[in-house]
Amino acid sequence: MSDLIACHGCDLLVDVGDLENGSQASCPRCGHFLTRYRRDAMNRVLAYAIAAIILLVLACSFSFLSFSASGLESVMTLRSAPGSLWRYGMPELAIMVAAFIIYIPALILLLLVMISAPLMFGKKAPWLRIAARGVFTMKNWAMVEVFIIGVIVSLVKIAAMATVVLGISFWAYAGFSICFALAMVTLDRFQCWEMIEALDVNQ
Amino acid sequence: MSDNYDTAASRGLASCHVCCKLAPSAGHTCPRCGAALHLRTTNSLQITLALLITASILYIPANLYPIMITDTITGAEFSTILGGVVLLIKLGSVPVAAVIFIASVMVPLAKLAVMFYLVWSVENSDREDHRQRTKLYVAAEFIGKWSMVDVFVVAILVALVHLGGLLVIRPGIAAYSFAGVVLVTMVAAEYFDPRLMWDRLDNKNDSET
Repeated sequence: MSDLIACHGCDLLVDVGDLENGSQASCPRCGHFLTRYRRDAMNRVLAYAIAAIILLVLACSFSFLSFSASGLESVMTLRSAPGSLWRYGMPELAIMVAAFIIYIPALILLLLVMISAPLMFGKKAPWLRIAARGVFTMKNWAMVEVFIIGVIVSLVKIAAMATVVLGISFWAYAGFSICFALAMVTLDRFQCWEMIEALDVNQ
Repeated sequence: MSDNYDTAASRGLASCHVCCKLAPSAGHTCPRCGAALHLRTTNSLQITLALLITASILYIPANLYPIMITDTITGAEFSTILGGVVLLIKLGSVPVAAVIFIASVMVPLAKLAVMFYLVWSVENSDREDHRQRTKLYVAAEFIGKWSMVDVFVVAILVALVHLGGLLVIRPGIAAYSFAGVVLVTMVAAEYFDPRLMWDRLDNKNDSET
């Protein structure tokens, strides 16, 4: 099996050979990242993905932020953020926001579980290729960490107006964003596809 | 840089953008994952340029119209993106004002400028700074989605602040245009193929030897 990669930055053919556990390869000509090898990558991806799914379910179940002034209180949940855009007559924007912060990340996580569990045990599964294709096509469109910064900016903007309390969902979503980011960083495009292909060759 | 490098294209191989598989460029779909296979992104420069112009046009209403409307007992207050930054400075939260100014004014403008320059440089620049330009592209691609912060802030505040007649925040029409700017520039970055910059260098080296 050849270990040639064409650099996505400059198309240079690079033979990455057998990488040591934990080491990464970059393009010698343009410096673009090529691949990183970890022996237990799939175990880690599965663990992070399951943790992230649990935290996302929690984040959808409780209050995210609550805001009170002069005896009046209002509460925001994760789903009411896109929901209220919908009520103000911006359905397209609401769908976009919901997709970027909840549905695309959730779909990616489900696909990650479907990919990493069979690969971890070296078993073939009929959906591996289509699932991996879905993950690598969608990965740029998850904006979990951007939403966290959005929450922090919002907090500072309105902290002067009234009392704002962080809910359980906020902490769950913060944990979710960390697990999600770790899962995405650990999943290496080149290595993942080599593993899928190796399954077909060996059996 | 006179030494010749061996590229995938020079061997007639196309690299799949989904799974990194190297396959003969005569094929139409990747033999491993089934995605469409191209030697280079088809019509990369034309599509990128068209999307960049679209984004630049959308950027105008995004800044002229209000992105957020605050209803209080004394009346409605319309705030644009820049207006929000000025208000924050007046309130004394300079660091947050800086974050918003960087994320929603500097980043989109810088990204548009960088992408226009890169598209221009593919066919017109003879400077041998390909390495820096590739880094510039990676940075522009990475930074793109961070401008969505502003749209998320609007979504959060609208969902959170609705205290009867006392204080209500509503989304403004500029939220649409601004989300459009972010989306269109992200797609533009995906269509730009940095390998085109290196092809010019490789072609020049080939003709010299």
